Amino acid sequence: MEISQIIINSLVRGAELSLLAIGLTMVFDILKFANFAHPDYAILGAFFAYLFNRVMGVNLLLAVILAALLTGIVGILIDQAIFKRLRMIGAKPVTLMIASMGTAIALRNLMRLIWTSHTKTYAIPIRKPLEILGARTTPLQIWIIIAGVLSMIAFHLLLHRTTFGKALRAISDNSELASACAIDSEKMIRWMWFVASAYGVLGGCMIAMEHLLYPRLGFNIIIPVFCATILGGIGNPYGAMVGALILAFAENIVLAFDFSLLFNLGGMFDIKSLYVNTGYKPAISFAILIVVLLFKPTGILGKK
Amino acid sequence: MTIVNFIIYLMTMMGIYSLLAMSLNFQVGVTGLINFGQVAFFCIGSYTSALLVVKAGMPIFVGFLGAMALSGIMGYVMSIPTKSLKTDYWAIATLASGEIIRLIALNEDWLTAGPFGVMGIPQILKGIISKDAYPFFYLLFVVACIGVVYFLLNLLTNSPFGRNLKAVRDEEELCLSLGKNIQNLKLKSMVVAGMVAGLAGALFTFYIAYISPENFRPIETFLMWAMIIVGGRGNHAGAIVGAVVIQLFNVSTRFLAGYVPLSTESMGSLRMFIIGLLIIVFLLYRPEGLIKEKKKIYK
Repeated sequence: MEISQIIINSLVRGAELSLLAIGLTMVFDILKFANFAHPDYAILGAFFAYLFNRVMGVNLLLAVILAALLTGIVGILIDQAIFKRLRMIGAKPVTLMIASMGTAIALRNLMRLIWTSHTKTYAIPIRKPLEILGARTTPLQIWIIIAGVLSMIAFHLLLHRTTFGKALRAISDNSELASACAIDSEKMIRWMWFVASAYGVLGGCMIAMEHLLYPRLGFNIIIPVFCATILGGIGNPYGAMVGALILAFAENIVLAFDFSLLFNLGGMFDIKSLYVNTGYKPAISFAILIVVLLFKPTGILGKK
Repeated sequence: MTIVNFIIYLMTMMGIYSLLAMSLNFQVGVTGLINFGQVAFFCIGSYTSALLVVKAGMPIFVGFLGAMALSGIMGYVMSIPTKSLKTDYWAIATLASGEIIRLIALNEDWLTAGPFGVMGIPQILKGIISKDAYPFFYLLFVVACIGVVYFLLNLLTNSPFGRNLKAVRDEEELCLSLGKNIQNLKLKSMVVAGMVAGLAGALFTFYIAYISPENFRPIETFLMWAMIIVGGRGNHAGAIVGAVVIQLFNVSTRFLAGYVPLSTESMGSLRMFIIGLLIIVFLLYRPEGLIKEKKKIYK
C-alpha cells in the first residue's frame, strides 16, 4: 500500500476516534469511572442523524448537528436517572462502571429493537474518488478530516475560553477546592455529559458514514476508543487526540507491513511475504491496549 | 421436542451457566476482581475439550482435564496484570483479552475450523445409555458437577484462604499492611475460577456436540454478570439462583414468541434490553442481590 494512502486512512480514523475519546476521557477524569456506554451513545446519535436525514429528509450536516444536540440531552438524562443516583447513594466507581455496562447493553438492544440489525446508510451522493499523491480518497474522507480538526479547535476554545471549561478544569485539578470556590459541580457535570455525548456523536456519525450504520457498531469501537483514551493518558483531551492518531497509524501500518522483512533477518531465511491476517484488525487495538496498560498505564502524555 | 425434554434441556443449560456464574462470583464477589472477559475461560474450556477429543483422538475425560488445565493457565495469565493495574484498567484489559480469544478461534482455521466451528464431538457414555434416558443422565451429571464445585468453592471461601480473598476485596491496603501477598491471592483465585469455568466449557461442548465462535460472544460475559448481580455476589448460592432466574427469563420469553407480534430478532433484542435494565435496577435498588452475602462476625 502507498504511504500516502496509509496517511490518509490513518488521519480519517484518527479524527473519528479522537472525537469519541475526548468525551470518554473527560467523564473518566471527573467521575472516576470508565463509561462503557460511551460508544453506544455515539451510535445512538448516529441513528438519530439517520432518522433526521433519511426519514425526515433533513440536510446531512444539519441532521448530524441536531443528533449531537439531542444525544447531549440524552446523556444528561441517563446521568440523572442512573449515574447521579448511584453517586448519591455513595456507590464506588466500580459500581458505576458495571452500571455503564448495563446501560450499554440496554441501549444497544433498544437500538436493535427500533432499527433492527440491518445496515443503514446516509443520503450521501456518490462522487468520483480523488487522487492525492497517489492515494485514493473520497470527498467524504476529506470532509471528515476537516470537520475533525475544526471540532478539536472548538473543543480547545471551549476548555480554555468559557466558564464551563475553566470550571471543569478546576474540578479536574482539585474538586474540593473547586466546590469551595462556589463552583456548582453538579451543574458542570451536566454540561460535561452534554459535551461528551455530543462530541461522541460527531465521531459516531463519521464512522457510520464512512462504513455502515448498525447497532453493534458501538461495541465494535469500544476497545479502540478506550485504547486511544488510555494511550493519551486519562483526563488529558489532547492526549486522547494524540492517542487516537497513534492508534490509527498503528492499525493501518501493522496491516500494511510485510513482516517477512523482519523475520528474514537480512536474508537468513526465505519467507516470501508475511502479512497480518486482516481478520485480526480488531485485535491490533486490543494488543496495543494491553501493552500500554502493562508498561505505561499513565499513557504517553500523562495527565498534565 | 417434547416438553419434558425441553425442561431437561433448560435445566442442563441452567446448570452449565450456574458453574460459569459461580466462577465469576469467585472472582468478583469473593476477591473483588472485575472480570469483563469471563467468556474467554468458557471459550478456552470448550475448544480445548473439543479439539483434544476430535482432533487428537483423546478419551473424553482427558478433554475435561485439558479444558480445566488450560482455563486455569488462562486464569494465571490474566492475573499477572492485576499487579500493576487499577481495577477499571484491568477490567478493560479483560474485555480485550476475551475478544482476542474469540478472534483466535475465528481466524486460526487450521486449528479451530474458523467460523464453521468444531463438529462431530462425541458424547459421554453414548453407547451405554439408551437414547431416551440420555438427556436425563447428562442433567444428573451436570448437577453432580455443580454439587462438587459448590461444596469445594464453599470450603475454599470459608477457609482462611477465602477470608484472605475477602480481605483483598474489602480492604486491599489493610491486607497489604498485614503482610499478605495480595498478588499471590489474586492469582490463586483466578486459577480456581478459570478451572471451574473450563469445566463448564467442557460440559457445554459434550452436551451440544457442536461449537463455533458464535457461542462465545462478549454478550455471554454480560449474561453471567447479570446472573451474579441479580442472584447476589459473595455467596455461591446467589450465583446459582441468578443463573436459574436469568436462564428462565431468557428461555421462557421464547415461548411468548407466538403470542406477541414481534419477530424473533426483536424478541431477542427486547430480552437483552430487559437484562441490561435488570442490571441497572438491581445496582440501584438492591445492590446485594436476591440472596445476601452472610457476613460472619469473628469475636
